[in-house]
Amino acid sequence: MDLRRINRKLKKQFGGRVSAALQDGCVVVSGALERWTDVVAACQTAAKKYSRTHVVNDIVCAEAVDAPMRLPAVNDDALEGASPDVLIIGGGISGASIARELTRWKLDILLVEKEPDVAMQASGRNDGEVHPGVDLGKGSLKHKYIRRGNHMFDKVCEDLNVEFRRVGQYVCFQDGWLRPVVYLYCLWRKYHDGIEDTELIGGEELRRREPYLDPGTKFAISNPSTGVVCPYGLTIAYAENAVENGAKVSLNTAVLGMELQDSKIVSVCTNRGTVFPRLVINAAGVFSEEIAKMAGDRFFSIHPRRGTNSILDKKAGAYLHSVASVINVKTQLRAHTKGGGVMRTAHGNLLAGPDAVETFEKENTETRPESIRVVFDKQKKTLTALSERDIITYFTGVRAPTFEEDFIIEQGRRTKNLIHCAGIQSPGLTTAPAVALDVAGMAVGLLSKEQAPEPNPQFNPVRRGVPTLRKMSDGERGALIRENPDYGVIVCRCEEVSKGEILDALRAPICVPTVDGVKKRVRPGMGRCQGGFCSPLVTKIIADFLGVPVSDVRKSSAASVITYGQTKGGEGGSAR
Amino acid sequence: MKETVCIVCPRGCKLRIDESGGDLAVTGNACRRGRDFAVSELKDPRRTICTTVRTAFPEVPVLPVRLSAEIPKARIFDVMREINAVTVESRVGRGDIIIKDVLSLGADVIASSNLLKEIQ
Amino acid sequence: MNENTYDVIVIGGGPAGLAAAVSARDAGAGVLLIEREARLGGILKQCIHDGFGLLRFGEKLSGPEYAEREIDELRKRNIPAKTLTFVTKIEKERGRFRVHAVSRDGVAVYETAALVLATGCRERTAKQVFIHGTRPSGIFTAGTAQHFTNLLGELPAKKCVILGSGDIGLIMARRLTLEGAQVLGVYEAKPTPSGLTRNLHQCLYDYDIPLYLSHTVTRVFGADRLEGVEIAEVDENMRPVEGTGRRVDCDALILSVGLIPENELAEGLGVEIDPKTKGPVCDGQCMTSVDGVFSCGNALHVNDLADYVSENAAAAGKAAAEYRRIGRKPARLNASEEFLYLVPQRLDLNRSNAGTTVYFRSRCDYNNARLVLSVDGKEVFSKRYAFLRPPEMERLELNFDALGLTERSDVRFTLELQGGKERAQ
Repeated sequence: MDLRRINRKLKKQFGGRVSAALQDGCVVVSGALERWTDVVAACQTAAKKYSRTHVVNDIVCAEAVDAPMRLPAVNDDALEGASPDVLIIGGGISGASIARELTRWKLDILLVEKEPDVAMQASGRNDGEVHPGVDLGKGSLKHKYIRRGNHMFDKVCEDLNVEFRRVGQYVCFQDGWLRPVVYLYCLWRKYHDGIEDTELIGGEELRRREPYLDPGTKFAISNPSTGVVCPYGLTIAYAENAVENGAKVSLNTAVLGMELQDSKIVSVCTNRGTVFPRLVINAAGVFSEEIAKMAGDRFFSIHPRRGTNSILDKKAGAYLHSVASVINVKTQLRAHTKGGGVMRTAHGNLLAGPDAVETFEKENTETRPESIRVVFDKQKKTLTALSERDIITYFTGVRAPTFEEDFIIEQGRRTKNLIHCAGIQSPGLTTAPAVALDVAGMAVGLLSKEQAPEPNPQFNPVRRGVPTLRKMSDGERGALIRENPDYGVIVCRCEEVSKGEILDALRAPICVPTVDGVKKRVRPGMGRCQGGFCSPLVTKIIADFLGVPVSDVRKSSAASVITYGQTKGGEGGSAR
Repeated sequence: MKETVCIVCPRGCKLRIDESGGDLAVTGNACRRGRDFAVSELKDPRRTICTTVRTAFPEVPVLPVRLSAEIPKARIFDVMREINAVTVESRVGRGDIIIKDVLSLGADVIASSNLLKEIQ
Repeated sequence: MNENTYDVIVIGGGPAGLAAAVSARDAGAGVLLIEREARLGGILKQCIHDGFGLLRFGEKLSGPEYAEREIDELRKRNIPAKTLTFVTKIEKERGRFRVHAVSRDGVAVYETAALVLATGCRERTAKQVFIHGTRPSGIFTAGTAQHFTNLLGELPAKKCVILGSGDIGLIMARRLTLEGAQVLGVYEAKPTPSGLTRNLHQCLYDYDIPLYLSHTVTRVFGADRLEGVEIAEVDENMRPVEGTGRRVDCDALILSVGLIPENELAEGLGVEIDPKTKGPVCDGQCMTSVDGVFSCGNALHVNDLADYVSENAAAAGKAAAEYRRIGRKPARLNASEEFLYLVPQRLDLNRSNAGTTVYFRSRCDYNNARLVLSVDGKEVFSKRYAFLRPPEMERLELNFDALGLTERSDVRFTLELQGGKERAQ
């Protein structure tokens, strides 16, 4: 770490307004800057890619005053005095998968999530690609976990009853002259970096496999191990299986502070009471830096990066079977993402995106027109048939990278009973199954210092889940309807979802009785009419299930009121 | 000279009403109903109301109703208040009267659906 | 013949499906009607406003009254109707159709020689008109808001903005006002209103609800429930003009921004779709490009009156009942660019076209237009229109059999404009 060189560069770029210093094994960058883009640039100057000496951002930025973390409306003492063996903070793919792997031991596990459901942030707002790792070189944690994670998907998804398909990925090139260089790159990745499925294929073969890809494509890097999965579906499945195996998931629960003693967390204060865990796992996504700080263990910084994906009609899904993108060498060498692509999702929609925009706002998931424009301008070069007219919805997620652009998966550096699973961004979904095993192992190792946990003899890795009737043969479907006639009542016409499936989702191990909660689990409202026909029906089913008036049902959060009560107001007289 | 649009049928004729000669002269109408509408619109604008009424049946929380005849436009919200104060407790059918001669305006509030007869 | 075999199966129990089933039965066919909802009547169940039936029944009826009259006709004829039954797929086998459907009774397969698709239409959504921002509750299509208000008796808005001046939007502006909600305004991106003129008067002006033309909603605010929308002026290409955005605080955004014919089943059968109507290309018998598959009502093209839907569907039902497999002899009906669309798009010269109803909409507002039908460049029919407006569909009955058409005839509809193109208001 050449601090003098960094400071020279910072001085040249920012005229002495910021500087870097080595403190407790971190590169702390401090000073004051006007613009957030400059803050990011300064920290990137100070950071070394994949280094374990992290940049901590202490720059004061006038522009970048983020809104305070959004807190759940609820305040009670539901968790007061709880003393779990492990407290997992964050119900994204990391937290949920770690919780599930930990249930292999006889442990008291509590997962807290501040949102009204799991998979509400990055884990529910990404494209669901299971990456091959072809863009990763040796030396990073991302690379360490990518192949293991990718290989685990068949088994994990089978156990958790989540649809997963290996569809392959094509990184397309339109400049024929690049072929020898890319060929060498493929060999390097395949043999040096161990991305063993990497191949180079010609344009003709590519078009045989994917006839709608741009006819100008000369060759492509192919990685058949690439898969697609529903990212929130997998997160929910992991969390449900954890609950089935004894873990507790507490939604609408935010960590507000911690009390430390002798470099150990003794208590964690939440809006639902104070918890006294033996071990804490920080899987808090964009807020993992804040959690680290509360735990007295802040040695990295997160710089949020926004990405928007568009979902297109399933009819447009016919244009592509796989994941595809086009590489423009001139503009892409320095970008932190492949620049998005097009893919057919696990549910059969075409998806385009994401873009990548630095932001200081951790929870701002607003969409903007320019995000769609950038992605479509670019991806029309991948897939000529791509059209904005087929868009049915779009959404924004915020990634949680460190300035080193690598994961942080390690025990606390100062705090003893803490494990970080932080800096998780793409390909965090792919690596999650493998990372969860390691983090669970680390946790068991730490807990064993006091008392070694026993294996959980009741652990069942198989989650039954909700049957998906639209995928069944008439015979299977008929048999299920005979058992439960509600499976024969179609509520959502676009996605062919029955009342039975909706009620199953409400009776699942984690009940999220909101319109969005049901939508994420069994898909009513995910189709081309976006709930136009079914949302009143779904609202009514939820109200009847809960035994409350329709106006008590929410879209998602406690304040996301759908209706304001009966049109006819209170009591009136009567006639006839 | 006044201008309005006839709302009697979907055709939407643009009506011009000239009252300068003492007699009302209507032009732009395609049929006699247009003339009648213009005259009424000038002297005593009237409208109907289509709304719902609360019921005592949970499967059918509200029943569609309408007025049997038009009422003065200015009384619409008065009539709405009357309708909103009522709960239907029997299985009335299409055309059945829910409120007779509402506010003595010469119009009945009638059920405009057989919904309550259809439920089990 | 087994019990699940019919001459005609009608899919959809709204006004189109009901009229098609009744007329197919009257033409002697064994008919089955399949409806996915619990009750027949389609969208009319929630259209409690009046104005229906003037053409068909000579009376002003509310939507439920109109639908129930049609249902009464169905019941009089003992036509079987499977409700709460959803068609999952249709297979074509040796010229017959096998319709797979699920219901509480399980999965059933019904066989038929002719199919009438009366599947209606759906509403365009917020993101299909590129509204950006957060994802709060409180954004409804007009039909969804209508369902909450009129069927569930629940108020979806207290203070709302309506985007789009389509008829359902205007109707909902009045409906919500009657139920005590405040409607801040109706915003329309086009320079002319999309709904019927009389609805502008009786739904907006009667209640002092302002209409803003050439304005659109570009963005929504609110993390939980909607808190406001950004309104911007749009240019002649309907793109928002930079710097014109202003925030309007409201708790609901109601969208009436267009209807799209539902043709997923039709497309599954390989039916050719007209990009202008978004419905099937059909002939004078309402038969689509696939033999034995008929389309009618709002699935064929979006109508502005239920009465026209019933009329068109009755013709489709009759044609389906009379359907025999004979070869087709198609003649295209061409329409000049002054037409937004024209239905049917072609004729089958092997069948009678003596009383064919042609439906069309003009592309813009036109005053003093002359519609001309020509065959091989020779004028054979003309009609004068004092004004033509895109929201108001026109219909014509024509005897094409008298024109001696052949497959090679150039049959062409044009609009001659004397007054020139005119923008309203």
